[in-house]
Amino acid sequence: MSQTEGSWQRRDFLRGAALLALAIGVPVAGVSLSDLDASEAPTDRQREMMRRVSQAVLPATDTPGAGDVGVGDFVILALAHGLDGTREPAGSAEIPWAVPQYQRRDGSVRYVDWLEGTLSRMGNGDFLRRDDAGLHDLVARIDAEAFAEGADAHPWRAIKGLILLGYYTSEVGGSQELRFELTPGRFDPALPMGPNTRAWSSDWTAVEFG
Amino acid sequence: MVDTAQFDAIVVGSGITGGWAAKELTEAGLKVLMLERGRDIPHQTGYDTEMKKPWDMPFRGSGDAEEWKREHPVQMLNRHFTEYTQGHFVNDRLNPYQTAPGTDFNWFRSYNLGGRSLTWGRQSYRWSDYDFAANKRDGHGTDWPIRYEDVAPWYDKVEEFIGVAGAAEGLPQLPDGQFQPPWALNAVERATRERIRQRWPERVLTVGRTANLTQPLGERGQCQARSICARGCSYGAYFSTQSSTLPAAKATGNLTLVTDAIVEKVDYDPATNRVTGVRWVDSKDGTRSRAGARMVFLNAGSFNSVQLMMNSASEAMPGGLANSSGVLGTHIMDHPSTLSAMAIMPGFEDVTTYGNRPTGVVIARYRNMDEMDGEGHTRGFSFQGGALQSGWTRGKREPGVGVDFKDSLRPPGPWRVVLVAFADCVPRARNRLTLDRTKTDAHGIPQLNIAFAFGKEEQAALAQAKADSAAMLTEAGGHVIMGFDQPGAGGGAIHEMGGARMGWDPATSVLNRWSQAHDVPNLFVTDGAQMSSSACQNPSLTYMALTARAADRAVGLLKENLI
Repeated sequence: MSQTEGSWQRRDFLRGAALLALAIGVPVAGVSLSDLDASEAPTDRQREMMRRVSQAVLPATDTPGAGDVGVGDFVILALAHGLDGTREPAGSAEIPWAVPQYQRRDGSVRYVDWLEGTLSRMGNGDFLRRDDAGLHDLVARIDAEAFAEGADAHPWRAIKGLILLGYYTSEVGGSQELRFELTPGRFDPALPMGPNTRAWSSDWTAVEFG
Repeated sequence: MVDTAQFDAIVVGSGITGGWAAKELTEAGLKVLMLERGRDIPHQTGYDTEMKKPWDMPFRGSGDAEEWKREHPVQMLNRHFTEYTQGHFVNDRLNPYQTAPGTDFNWFRSYNLGGRSLTWGRQSYRWSDYDFAANKRDGHGTDWPIRYEDVAPWYDKVEEFIGVAGAAEGLPQLPDGQFQPPWALNAVERATRERIRQRWPERVLTVGRTANLTQPLGERGQCQARSICARGCSYGAYFSTQSSTLPAAKATGNLTLVTDAIVEKVDYDPATNRVTGVRWVDSKDGTRSRAGARMVFLNAGSFNSVQLMMNSASEAMPGGLANSSGVLGTHIMDHPSTLSAMAIMPGFEDVTTYGNRPTGVVIARYRNMDEMDGEGHTRGFSFQGGALQSGWTRGKREPGVGVDFKDSLRPPGPWRVVLVAFADCVPRARNRLTLDRTKTDAHGIPQLNIAFAFGKEEQAALAQAKADSAAMLTEAGGHVIMGFDQPGAGGGAIHEMGGARMGWDPATSVLNRWSQAHDVPNLFVTDGAQMSSSACQNPSLTYMALTARAADRAVGLLKENLI
């Protein structure tokens, strides 16, 4: 990690927030990247990693992919603020995949560092030099490991969950990939459904109960 | 100390019952002061997040978990607490309370105009004589001094005013009311209802009875099927103080409303044996004020009304206001609740829905009615839940990355049915509130200490509910994938009640059959504090009916100069 990469300064936070706002329409005032400790701030390389990993999970099809709509930075923000329990202490028994270097003093996991380290190890070198198919393969291997029998607490599950959250609550993911209607105006209890029926991201019960 | 005007009545609290008290008393011609401890949230213009989309929110609706852990460690456990609604809940750090050793209790609160009427679940069920006679039948608690026929006309009045959508089913344990047209069951729920009924005719699955309008009502618009009620609804399509009772009270010209006013004491005059007014602290600048009145209605929310009575102890009433019985604070309750069963429901892959119905379904109580068939318990439980299709969040549990994975999350997911049990909570003396004499809030007011635990009866009811629900969903063609039989922490149902119970005997109860203090004739407590048992239905409709009934009684007594 270079000196520059390791010292994410306040202006960089704000710049990052502004970029995020441009990418996904989040008001800068509402984003709190500036609250991050320098030790928690991502490097440019980590931001690029998270953008490309997000895109690998949810790539562009007839709608843009997750990396295209700023989900990488959203995941970093979400992890910094502990969404989905990601700042809770994790016992070492629960995370056999994490070595101590990826845990904070309070026992929580530095997910971004863990992912970078894991991809580097699996990729035998600079994983960002890989093309999209090559990176997809690495991410798919991590995913398979994380969803293997008994791997419930695997760190990848938290990251993947936040990628999904970032995408399907973005305007593109929520209203183009899926459908969104804040004010349906009526309830139809039974409508025909076919293989091309798209779900409603504004079906809050479905979102809550998954 | 600022001494303000004299009123006919003071209403402490602006939530579900405070709004009703203010409406009824002002419409009867009384000059009423309503005091709300929290901030003003004006109807329509005060619902800041109502129209926000996830991508308008800094954390996409999920909220800043680190901030929540600091400021809202209890409130964040409430399923209605989101990034959109967090402004409708208290800051836990600034509003502390204590719990006794061994107590696990989450006290969910909304200190703002409208109280929890802004965020309530809107489920509106009548109680029956299975409920009002429950204490007498099994000996727990004290007998209610009222029965269904005493409350029925007030249920009518309340339902007609607030608007309750529901289906009449003719069930003695869940009496029908003055309903607007019901919301529809979806295809899976219709099938589940029929399959259960074929096997168990006494078990009735019906659509939830909810205070969401299916037809316009006065100035209030029809529900838009958004199901984001807790953000506030500028259509006025669900019942809240703001949408319903407050406009009615204001229209009389008889209401004075003061927000940011934390009532700390009710004044009592032993010479006349009457309460004479209340004292409050302005939460913004700390100034203290007083107002006088010919009577006081406590509607601060069950626990806060009890806290206020305890904190109003005087030389004449050292054990707390209107507490000659010594039972003030005791016999508090909350419904034990758990996810009894979740089942995947195959066979409905070609059907979906449109819009967000603002209610689920209910399976009315069927145990321990005319036949005592509860296993290890003597009261009831009922289920709430519904059939739903999973959404994109199912992807969090599924393996896969890439195009195929993304495509797999595009359509609605499999149908599932969820049944959550709510059981009766036995009233027990050991479950009680006390004032903590060593810890105060920022204004020097003693904190409340909660001692609470569920007992073997609640455990037994939830165990039977788990077994019953699995059997019903299996009979309905489902594959049960999970179910629990242990209640969560107390307070989880957000139905905390009791503490100033109603009863026949002044020696063993705080309130008489009119929600009126046995000891102090011009003091009425008409929120959940008055409850002598819990039933297994949502209680708010009953609170409202008892408030309207008490207000009518109070006005009559006032006009006859009896209070």
